[in-house]
Amino acid sequence: MRESFSIWWFAGVLMLAYGVVILSTGLWEVGHPLPQPPVLSNLHAPIWWGGLLTVVGLGYTIGFRPRHVADKRRK
Amino acid sequence: MGIDLTTSFLPGTGALAATVTTQLARLNWIDVLVIAIYFVIVVFIGFYLRGSSNTSEEFFMAGREMTAWIAGLSFVSANLGSLELMGWAGSAYQYGILAMHWYWIGAIPAMLFLGIVMMPFYYISKTHSVPGYLKLRYGDGARALSAICFAFMTILMSGINMYSMAIVMKVVLGWDLNFSIWVSSVTVAVYVALGGLKSAIYNEILQFLLIWAGALLVPILGLIEVGGWSNLRQQIATNLGRSDYVHLWSTLGHFSSNPMGVNWFGIVFGLGFVVSFGYWTTDFLVVQRVLSADSIRSARMAPVIGAAFKMAVPFIVILPGLLALSVLPFHLVAQDVAVQTGQHSFNEVLPLMLVRYCGPGLLGLGVTALIAGFMSGMAGNVSAFSTVWTYDIYGAFLNKKATDRHYVAMGRWSTLIGVLVSVGTAYLVQHAASIMDYVQQLFSFFIAPLFGTVILGMLWKRATKEAGFWGLLAGTVTSISLWLWVKNDPSALRYVAFSPDAKHLAEDVYRSLWAWSACVLVTVVVSYMTKPRPVAELEGLVYGASVLPEEHDDHWYQKPIVWAGAVAAGFIILNIIFW
Repeated sequence: MRESFSIWWFAGVLMLAYGVVILSTGLWEVGHPLPQPPVLSNLHAPIWWGGLLTVVGLGYTIGFRPRHVADKRRK
Repeated sequence: MGIDLTTSFLPGTGALAATVTTQLARLNWIDVLVIAIYFVIVVFIGFYLRGSSNTSEEFFMAGREMTAWIAGLSFVSANLGSLELMGWAGSAYQYGILAMHWYWIGAIPAMLFLGIVMMPFYYISKTHSVPGYLKLRYGDGARALSAICFAFMTILMSGINMYSMAIVMKVVLGWDLNFSIWVSSVTVAVYVALGGLKSAIYNEILQFLLIWAGALLVPILGLIEVGGWSNLRQQIATNLGRSDYVHLWSTLGHFSSNPMGVNWFGIVFGLGFVVSFGYWTTDFLVVQRVLSADSIRSARMAPVIGAAFKMAVPFIVILPGLLALSVLPFHLVAQDVAVQTGQHSFNEVLPLMLVRYCGPGLLGLGVTALIAGFMSGMAGNVSAFSTVWTYDIYGAFLNKKATDRHYVAMGRWSTLIGVLVSVGTAYLVQHAASIMDYVQQLFSFFIAPLFGTVILGMLWKRATKEAGFWGLLAGTVTSISLWLWVKNDPSALRYVAFSPDAKHLAEDVYRSLWAWSACVLVTVVVSYMTKPRPVAELEGLVYGASVLPEEHDDHWYQKPIVWAGAVAAGFIILNIIFW
């Protein structure tokens, strides 16, 4: 059996899921500061790191979506 | 020996498990969600790949259809477990930048050599394993010896991985040991038994990405906090009152002039040659990943790609250890002292840095990266064990004429049994903490001499069947004997490691050098005393007796040798920069 899901698609889905969760957490923390914030919390790492994971994850999820990969293989 | 040496940095954990009463961090529901997402995806991958692991070629060799990128990332990821992350971050805190040698000279030359010189022989011989190559080159004696040693070693390592994960989860999060051991082992058993090597490789790719996603923030935020690399060097020198923690080569003139108690000869020849080449070119755990490549070109490119990424790993492992020397408001101590005094140990440096910079969500991602690393380490060992057991022990000596379907079933069962034995090993380690110290010795016993046997077999037509077996045995016996000698008489260190100042790591690299030398010497002598095989029988196995298939690259920049040259240049430049 030839897989229709590429490993890169799985990687994209995982990164996208983590990106969305972490970005959402970061945005929530802007309005609800943590009682014991980590060092350099003023840099809002969850927002830009979560955003980066979301963008990369989205790119891989779309770029390696099953039908797209199957079409490329046929060509 | 890459990851395997790191186990020495987690000694005495049985005592630790009994005494820990506080935990470093508490996860909230977002962190638990992040961890749960990972478990759901890895189990799904196992079930999804079950349908494509029906033949032995598919189950044990992933159908030999992995691209260079997948095989390359899996190759480096199989070595990048959490013992590696935690252990070397701790050793960077303890020994400074010298720990970087295990990533650069202790890996890069060997990985490039594997890709450019050795891989064609492994690949065109169509062997399923390193013991399988020894069978083709030397016969059943060398194969049986190496297969049994390897099977024993991988199961022990898998158990150590499992127990280490459980202990880290207990220290960092306060999780119950039994919970961690059983959840991780059942998950690994499910996805490897169902999907075979392909499932292990897929999860290693995810683990590799997770480690970067979870750990990269620590050095980035750390460098921002200290004000850059130059400031970090200055602060370390000020805090410690010595400058030898930030130099890679200039302090290696003598054993006593650097924090690690090692000299340049041991680093270059012991680590950079014997230990590193032994691990990266003959340890089947990593070589198996490259054997799954879809073409000889992919098989040659995979180690080169792996080397490029390996060179970058110190950024997320060594740098956090160095940053901790500057930013942590307290000193970390050795494990045994930590157990007695309640202070934090070197081994906790990475979790401490994660907790320092990461809030909810990001902390869960960091913890997931550690869990993924441990499970990947287990899965790598178990999948390699399953292959060697089925092909090189069961299929070679116990049941030679079974059907392909039977061997696949045996592969699945041996995966499950391997995991169960590993669980037993994990509990054994709990009651015999010193076993953790012995693991790295196991590698000097078995892997260093194996490199001598394989490299002579590949490059020297005259090496004979009898010489292969006796050389391997002599190297193994030499290594074990030297270890026993120093254990019974510590003053023997001055002979084994050439200095009474040598520390554990130095002793290991020198013992490996002795073992390799004994193996090579005995192999050469016995070869000249016995009858060589006809050259025609060595086709596809030995340099000079084989016609390698031509590779047709459209452009010069597609050639593996070009990329290997680029990686080698980067390696040299980095060593000069951090001299």
